[in-house]
Amino acid sequence: MGQAGRLNPPNWARWAAFLLVALLGLLLRLPQLGARPMHTDEAVNAYIVGQLLAGETYTYDPQDRHGPALAGFALPLVRLQGAKAFSDLTESQLRLTTVLAGTVTILLFGAAVEMFGFVACLIAALLFAAAPLPVYYDRYFIHESLFIAATFGLILSGWSACARRSAKLAVLAAACAALMLACKETAVLHFAALSVAALLYWLWNLRRKSPSDLWRPRTLLAAGLVFLLLSLALFTWFGTNWSALAALLHAVPNAFARAGGEGHQKPLWYFAQLLTGGWSGGIICALACIGFFQCARKREPSPYGFLSFYALLTAVIYSLIPYKTPWLALSFWLPITLFAGLAMESLWHVPEKYAALRIAAPACCILLGAVSAALIAHDTRLRVFVHPADETNPYAYAQTTEDLLGLPAEIANLAQQEGLTSPRIGVIASDPWPLPWYLRHFTQVGFWQPGQQVGEADFYITSAEAADQYADQLREFRPDFFGVRPGVLILLWSPAPK
Amino acid sequence: MMKMLSRNTPVLAVLLVAAASFAQNQVVLKTKLPPPLFVGTPVPLNVTNLEPPTKGKRPDFMVPEGTLNLARNKKVTASDDNPDVGTLDMIVDGDKDGNEGSWVELGPGKQWVQIDLAKRANVYAILIWHFHSQARVYRDVAVQVSDDPTFRSGVTTIFNNDFHNELGLGAGKDLNYIETYQGKLIDAKGVKGRYVRLYSNGNTSNKLNHYIEVEVWGKPAV
Repeated sequence: MGQAGRLNPPNWARWAAFLLVALLGLLLRLPQLGARPMHTDEAVNAYIVGQLLAGETYTYDPQDRHGPALAGFALPLVRLQGAKAFSDLTESQLRLTTVLAGTVTILLFGAAVEMFGFVACLIAALLFAAAPLPVYYDRYFIHESLFIAATFGLILSGWSACARRSAKLAVLAAACAALMLACKETAVLHFAALSVAALLYWLWNLRRKSPSDLWRPRTLLAAGLVFLLLSLALFTWFGTNWSALAALLHAVPNAFARAGGEGHQKPLWYFAQLLTGGWSGGIICALACIGFFQCARKREPSPYGFLSFYALLTAVIYSLIPYKTPWLALSFWLPITLFAGLAMESLWHVPEKYAALRIAAPACCILLGAVSAALIAHDTRLRVFVHPADETNPYAYAQTTEDLLGLPAEIANLAQQEGLTSPRIGVIASDPWPLPWYLRHFTQVGFWQPGQQVGEADFYITSAEAADQYADQLREFRPDFFGVRPGVLILLWSPAPK
Repeated sequence: MMKMLSRNTPVLAVLLVAAASFAQNQVVLKTKLPPPLFVGTPVPLNVTNLEPPTKGKRPDFMVPEGTLNLARNKKVTASDDNPDVGTLDMIVDGDKDGNEGSWVELGPGKQWVQIDLAKRANVYAILIWHFHSQARVYRDVAVQVSDDPTFRSGVTTIFNNDFHNELGLGAGKDLNYIETYQGKLIDAKGVKGRYVRLYSNGNTSNKLNHYIEVEVWGKPAV
């Protein structure tokens, strides 16, 4: 699409349009925010926020915990909502952080207009605002939404820094990169993909330009320094925990070790299947493919060329890595929505080349838009609001079952019957998550690993595997099963009726 | 002592013959099991108040010779007339496979299904497969037999693990169990009745109720 054919509304109209779309995205993300049970990963992140609320310093743990960015953004937000301790936290309070991150991503499409054009960005923003996958995972208290916002920020500011040779934008790009790393260690994969995409784009289109035409050495140095300082500040929690630096050295080897799968192995085509699933997935991905091949066919030196390389590289990297979880697919939504937007915009402009289609092409666009909107509404309603925790929902991965919501209520009820105001609860399980979240309102809860000597308690919660080792201790207790995740059960042991 | 024995010899002989005859007429209940779909979540062993898991094949269960699955292709009704997935006749169609397409899904919360055996029968065993493609426990499982299709009179409860009395049938004392491909075998002890009603109240994965198959092993009552 040539620049001449593009619609370029004035700034105020552009931002008004994107603000409206962001508002739509926000409104779609807020209802029933606390309804879905807390996933184990969300519970771990919530616990970290709880530690910070209690005045503890953030301790970076490269094993399974990711970086400090999510907790850093969530902390002031939950405080603003009145939380003072872990037990005060609610699902909605925490998930508001990622809802806002998703809304910022939608707004960032407004800043991407110079790169990708107004119409394509508006369509992309609409898809991001309403499609089931981004709506679902923006309501998930994990690092993904913030990571995507930071990645988009890096792409936009990095591109503009090169185009305008702006030191300020280069520093902003460095800050976004630091934020990405402080979200997830997988940032290094995106840094690699972005670097190779930039190199390929330069080789393809800009060989006549020297890299020094794009960046001044001093700008590069400043950006590098900002990246280092901000990363240091975040990982050491503003200088209070320097052991994070040693832990950070283990982060990448750990991430590579986990890439083997660790129980999350999926086939090569997993993401393709996930993205094209549902009623709307196929149509959005088909549009994105049209946009992608249109861009590849034209070979114009446009930002879409760079985006093509980046999309292709991340798709290959993520598909080749055996470790796959569905929320990682959110990374693909930036290029997918932009290419889908490009395809729609191109279809709208077909009559400029083929006058005979001056009625058919716009009519086709309107019909396609209406059908896509209806299918997206159907999928979003079902996957996000009607069946958010259902096993048949492909986004609900290793989701905590609704059955577990009954566990704290059952303990409270039994404790009341037994006349216990502060029941002692002993949890024996090698992986107790997300129980710390669901037992946060009880003041006396102890966690033990199977095989350890367990203290006296009024109630025990054991994994099915652990119960066998404590037969004597549990002799006077009656068990009741609770589902933790599909196929994973725990037992609540309460005093047997006399 | 010898005198007493000689006096009661005819009675003892009759008892011995009856016992031998009874033993001869007992046969192993043979049902076709579906293929297992998951290698069982390890479950606790030797723990009081918890049903021991079935390790390998279930021990043989003896039933009188001539005992048949009386539920096969019989009429099934339910508290949820319009199942979300599948149809009620699937409960007695002989398909015990654990994969999608073999189960009927009833709505959330307390639900029951009822099998009309067409004639009054002596029921010796009931086998239930709720769901067996993952480790799951169905809540508040209760099984009743009656001649009254409304289950208001002459009801015999042969299994009830609803110890909170959520179903309102009285607090049960039977144990919770994890679903497996072998199904849950309930000893019906020859109870007489024409209708069998099975209750459940959601499960540990969701609030829904599922049935893959129910077999009612018995003989028409004389």
